[in-house]
Amino acid sequence: MSEPVIEIRNVQKWFGERRVLTGVNVDVHEGETLVIMGGSGCGKSTLLRAIIGLMHPEEGSIKIFGQDMASATDDEKNEIRKKFGMLFQGSALFNSLTVGENVALPLKEHTDLDDDIINIIVKVKLELVGLTGFESLKPFEISGGMKKRVALARAIALDPKIVFYDEPGAGLDPITASVIDHLIMDLSKKLKMTSVVVTHEMTSAFRIADRIIVLQQGKVVAEGGPEAIRKSDHPYVKQFIHGEIDGPISFKESRDSYLKGIFGDEEI
Amino acid sequence: MTKLESYFGSIGKTTHQFLIEVAKIWQLVTDFFYWAILAPFKGKKSFGREAFSRQLFFMGNESLFIVALVSASVGAVLALQAAYQLKEFGALMYTGALVSVSMARELGPIITAIVIAGRVGASITAELGTMKVQEEVDALVTMGIPPIPFLVVPRILAIIIMLPSLTVLSYAIGILGGYLISTTSLGIGSEVYLQESFDALVAKDLMTGLAKSFVFSLLVGFIAIYTGLGVRGGAEGVGRATTQSVVASIIAIIVADGICTAVFYYVFP
Repeated sequence: MSEPVIEIRNVQKWFGERRVLTGVNVDVHEGETLVIMGGSGCGKSTLLRAIIGLMHPEEGSIKIFGQDMASATDDEKNEIRKKFGMLFQGSALFNSLTVGENVALPLKEHTDLDDDIINIIVKVKLELVGLTGFESLKPFEISGGMKKRVALARAIALDPKIVFYDEPGAGLDPITASVIDHLIMDLSKKLKMTSVVVTHEMTSAFRIADRIIVLQQGKVVAEGGPEAIRKSDHPYVKQFIHGEIDGPISFKESRDSYLKGIFGDEEI
Repeated sequence: MTKLESYFGSIGKTTHQFLIEVAKIWQLVTDFFYWAILAPFKGKKSFGREAFSRQLFFMGNESLFIVALVSASVGAVLALQAAYQLKEFGALMYTGALVSVSMARELGPIITAIVIAGRVGASITAELGTMKVQEEVDALVTMGIPPIPFLVVPRILAIIIMLPSLTVLSYAIGILGGYLISTTSLGIGSEVYLQESFDALVAKDLMTGLAKSFVFSLLVGFIAIYTGLGVRGGAEGVGRATTQSVVASIIAIIVADGICTAVFYYVFP
């Protein structure tokens, strides 16, 4: 295996009293598609936000291309950020700009290319995601699936080495979701990109992953290829894959929180 | 004992939160000055000119008509009220002087600022709040585009230019409103009115008004942007922040007006 492009060591993150990440260790290798899987509230989105530097973990280190995000200056961070792209859950397109301007934005801000050349690059990127001729539409004029694709085109505008995906299939019908999945696989292969996908959707995860890690309560509980994860006998992973109510995760959070809910914060 | 503790505890907590808030506003202000003034000299890409001109156009276009309408009404009302009193002393001819000086020193700046707070301030807060909620601000950050020069600087600069410009317009239209009402229904001669208006008005009055409107523009701009970028909790949060932004701006404008007036009265008599 080659040098890891992302190195996550013992990352811990608190929100007030609650510890959301309890010592996560992950390596992401060049060219692979890593899926971070887990139920709601397991900390997978928090982990992603910590990697891209939107949030700072209280403990541990995250290195991207060997550079530590926490100790980097703003300029250094922006340099690192040019080397990766991110697909947000809600697409996060700029509603005041057209589709073409959205894709062109990182190019305009970070390069000195002429507008003509930028327009060509925009066309190429939109072609890669299968949306030719949509440049002049506004984001509210296109469907949710198309928005995701535009956001993907924008994420790969600067030819990043790594692309992060936050719930790529969220809010889409199964067919559109699988189209997005195929785009992810296609782009990773064609452009030789490393992909990090956060999702709770099993079908999508097993379809695209080279490697899967399962997070539970802020900790990595299982790691391996799709087959290994499918056959895993870890109780949580089993419960998660089969979507059962009973298992190590019970329906109710805990007795204390239940009583707290009824009696408020007073001591019981 | 526990009651007492929780009482002081809550005071401490509130103070602590207030100080955090102040620190955040201070951070926003210093960031703005860094990106608006220092960054271009350090060879960094400054704010977007395109966005700046679009904001200028939007703010001017959006508020021109309302500022004109409100100023004309206030000028007319001022003339009527002044005439009502001045008539008693047989000093009806000074109506013009009263209208022009009070429009310039007080009413022009404050009316324009309040209209802008309601119109432009609210829309800035709602727009930035929506961007925040829909992760657009996060998207900017992950693209390596700092939000301050991209979103904040063009808006603040546009409001700093637009609010004083609209205030000048408000002077003119307020005086026009007073003129129309005085010449048509108060029986003041057109020439007398205009002469009185411009004799009484000195450069200092105009400068006082402009200085005030500059202060107001900073207040409206920073309050609108700070509340907009601080939005949490979906569409409901955007609505709440927009109301807060307008209310806070109007209160800040009136308080600042009091302070400015006192400063001009005592320090620059």
